[in-house]
Amino acid sequence: MSGRIAVLVFPGTNSEDETVRVLRDCGGDAELVHWSVPEPLAGYDAYVLSGGFAHEDRIRAGAVAAHERMMDYVIEGAGRGKLVFGICNGAQILLEAGLVPGTGPLRKPTAAFTHNAPAPHFVCRHVYVKLAIAPARCAVTASLPSDALVPAWAAHAEGRLAAPPAHLREIAAGDHLAFVYAHADGTVDDAAVPNGSALRCAGLVNRAGNVLALMPHAERDAWNFNHLERSDGGDVLAPSGGSTIFRSFVEAVS
Amino acid sequence: MLHSAPSVALREDELERIAERLGREPSVVELTAFDAQWSEHCSYKSSRHHLARLSTSGASVVLGPGEDAGILHLGVHDGERYGVVIAHESHNHPSQVVPFEGAATGVGGIVRDVLCMGAQVIAIADPLRFGRVDEADSHARYVAQAAVDGIGAYGNAIGVPNLAGDVYFDEGFDENCLVNVVALGIVKESDVIHSHVPKDAEGWEIVLVGKATDASGFGGASFSSLTLDAQDADANKGAVQVPDPFLKSVLMRASYRVFALLHGLKLTAAFKDLGAGGIMGCSAEMTAGGGYGAQIDLDRVNVALEGMPPEVIAVGESQERLMWALPPAIVPEVLRIYNEEFTLPEVAYNARATVIGRVTSDKRYVLHYRGAVVMDVESDFLTGSIRDELPYTEVIHHAGPTDELAAVDVEALLPRVLAHRDVCSREPLYRRYDAVVRGRTVLPRGRADAGVLAPVPGARLGVALAVAGNPRYGRVDPRYAAEHAVLEAVRRVVAVGARPIGLTDCLNFGNPRKPDQYGEFVRAVDGLARAAEAFELPFVSGNVSLYNESTRAGVPASPIVACVGALDDIATVITPGLKHAGSALLWIGSRELAVGGSVLAELLGVDGALPSLSYGAERAAIGILRDAAARGILRSCRTISDGGMLTALVRLAFDALAARRSIGAEIDFGNPFCESGGFVCEVSDDAGIDLTGVLRIGVTTQKPELVVNGTHFSLAQLYEIWSKPLCEVYP
Repeated sequence: MSGRIAVLVFPGTNSEDETVRVLRDCGGDAELVHWSVPEPLAGYDAYVLSGGFAHEDRIRAGAVAAHERMMDYVIEGAGRGKLVFGICNGAQILLEAGLVPGTGPLRKPTAAFTHNAPAPHFVCRHVYVKLAIAPARCAVTASLPSDALVPAWAAHAEGRLAAPPAHLREIAAGDHLAFVYAHADGTVDDAAVPNGSALRCAGLVNRAGNVLALMPHAERDAWNFNHLERSDGGDVLAPSGGSTIFRSFVEAVS
Repeated sequence: MLHSAPSVALREDELERIAERLGREPSVVELTAFDAQWSEHCSYKSSRHHLARLSTSGASVVLGPGEDAGILHLGVHDGERYGVVIAHESHNHPSQVVPFEGAATGVGGIVRDVLCMGAQVIAIADPLRFGRVDEADSHARYVAQAAVDGIGAYGNAIGVPNLAGDVYFDEGFDENCLVNVVALGIVKESDVIHSHVPKDAEGWEIVLVGKATDASGFGGASFSSLTLDAQDADANKGAVQVPDPFLKSVLMRASYRVFALLHGLKLTAAFKDLGAGGIMGCSAEMTAGGGYGAQIDLDRVNVALEGMPPEVIAVGESQERLMWALPPAIVPEVLRIYNEEFTLPEVAYNARATVIGRVTSDKRYVLHYRGAVVMDVESDFLTGSIRDELPYTEVIHHAGPTDELAAVDVEALLPRVLAHRDVCSREPLYRRYDAVVRGRTVLPRGRADAGVLAPVPGARLGVALAVAGNPRYGRVDPRYAAEHAVLEAVRRVVAVGARPIGLTDCLNFGNPRKPDQYGEFVRAVDGLARAAEAFELPFVSGNVSLYNESTRAGVPASPIVACVGALDDIATVITPGLKHAGSALLWIGSRELAVGGSVLAELLGVDGALPSLSYGAERAAIGILRDAAARGILRSCRTISDGGMLTALVRLAFDALAARRSIGAEIDFGNPFCESGGFVCEVSDDAGIDLTGVLRIGVTTQKPELVVNGTHFSLAQLYEIWSKPLCEVYP
């Protein structure tokens, strides 16, 4: 019996359809839940926060959404060990909600994904993210191999991890740095980082390991047709590439 | 009390005609309404009879021009016929005056045109023409930067990928940039919603949806139809609308829900974008198009501020608004979806769906305000009667000297060609655009000659999109520029393995009241008609943008064309970049050495004749290419355009580098920078190819270098040269 996954839609969310689709293609029981009727969220086993510009990214990306009623259910569920996976704007919301890295109080963020550097512009660039923790450290990544390399698209104006030095040390020391940017061959250096992110960070996990925030969009490189050049010759409609992390998520929910 | 500008752009004879028909002097509201509705922007009064020469029908046409967007048949999946909705517009004057907002609202408007056909919006494209950007603090550079940021900010926020586009920089656009926008949608052909009411629509309710009406964009239609004067720049700013992509994102999703409701109940409705002419223009066209009139109560319009005069409420062009005409029984549920489920009033101040009037059978267009009738005219007179046949002079095509450049100094020229502003990498610009949102992208912007999407979840169908329009040709011969734009847009779609199914155009020209500038427009329409006929392709949508001139001159003639291609199976896409060492490199197509209008001619400071266009040779080249693809011997290809054959080949090598394949090429050809068209192709085996019209120019090699006529170039060094120039403008 697989668990039920809610994909949250805030006003301004724009990646909900492909997120539901990749979860379903990976065997998940996923459906959309809209902001105007948040009550059903209590009945779901896991939550996915997809990309977009929730509440127009007013104040800071994710800052307003973190205070929405929908997030009351997510925070409550996360506290009880439900899986939560935020992608791009969803990742920003999880940081603003204080769920990741989770080293401070709720809704009082200790770190943020903020304006890209050196140029503070939106950047759309294909990237790879490399698993920087032991797979079992995070429930969402538990089925990935060690050092897993996941293809994805960075597509954001605010994706640079920034935090006071003490909090950055906490992130490193607490094993919260879940993913770093990498090249296709797995090497990690500053040239692989599209946004100037501290610690070359692409993703963060909370202390308990049930909440993961990932900036790049793995769901946009998740079927063979998204990367015909790298396809192994399988059916063009089959999930592949970035879908691995969603498959791992679905397995953890089941 | 706010005041509206009393000045109108209507001419004396037009004013007399209105008074005569009404039998009285028109009211202020009526005057404002006719001013918008009879502007070139709304009425196409001086262009429509020329455009009638364009072919608009064919087997692939589901819906031709006449509504908010055209529709082309894409293919069949699971027993359902799917259509691609396409619309193409300009937002030139607003983008020159307030570039960020002007360009952003250009995207916003074109997206609504596609949405209102009942379609999911799946892609946008942005053909751009900017002035010189060499000077750091010039207004032209500011326009080039801010317009791109506006397009990105809007498209990224609503979650529609930017699939295609191009950009040219030319001093002719210093004072009048061109920002064209194209949008694509996908719709089941049985689910199309029309822009006008059907039969038996009497008594239907008219529902306004979206942003609260404010005073922004008042006079926008007539502003588009006047020449820009730098001294009036501040005064013109009020005519530009204010974008709200956040509200649009919610409006789109709410509208998708309404589509599902209507299809589930098998109900017919009409849905239309509010563009030029605002509430008045939209409701008048929507009802008159079905043979009806309308009664609209302006007091029921949700407004952003009190005290606006009725003509501003009626004609102002506030963004993010759409209009439904619906059978009354379904209206409460539609209002609930917008206002409660998608909480429009909480998303933007006083945004909502609200009933503002009804469809009437008397063919009169009537506006009420504070208990009085402030407009009462015949619908058909308002929306359909204006025509303006202006005089024009024949454009004399200056044919340069026919001397050919058979051989050039490739060593000195290749770096200069690759760094040329029309050739160098566009990535610094388009990486500000989301190319992959929706997860349907097969070939993103910039990776190949055309972008490709898989628009229907679970289906193998693909749609390709490319744009073209070279201002260097526009300066020499508008008809040639138009023909070439069609040819190149078609080639680009073919180069990714798609079958061209239809075209759109945006004709950006100067002042139609100056016979020489109007003559350029007329000549370009000739070119479009001829090229489309030669390829048996229809124009299903388009736009005319006139009065693009500065105080000095008209812009270079700019017929800009978009081509849509279909793929039955996305697995057959021709993927970018050289694939293997040891492949044969072929030049398929015409190989004239005429240099007129080329990047090479500009760099050398020489004049020359334009390469001749041969539709027979073009069709043959496309046939050879498609045959090679079908037989599985075609490994990669690119079209030959700006910078010539060698530029196309270098791009194929760069594409391979991007995919981490280190492959070089060795070729021999005296002047590889001629832009006479055709394709550069990499084939595994040229044994089976009919070599008539095909030249074997060389082979691919294992070393990451390019050898041209014995001169060696490092691909890495060439990439440095090619990739850098625009980084300064778009850091």
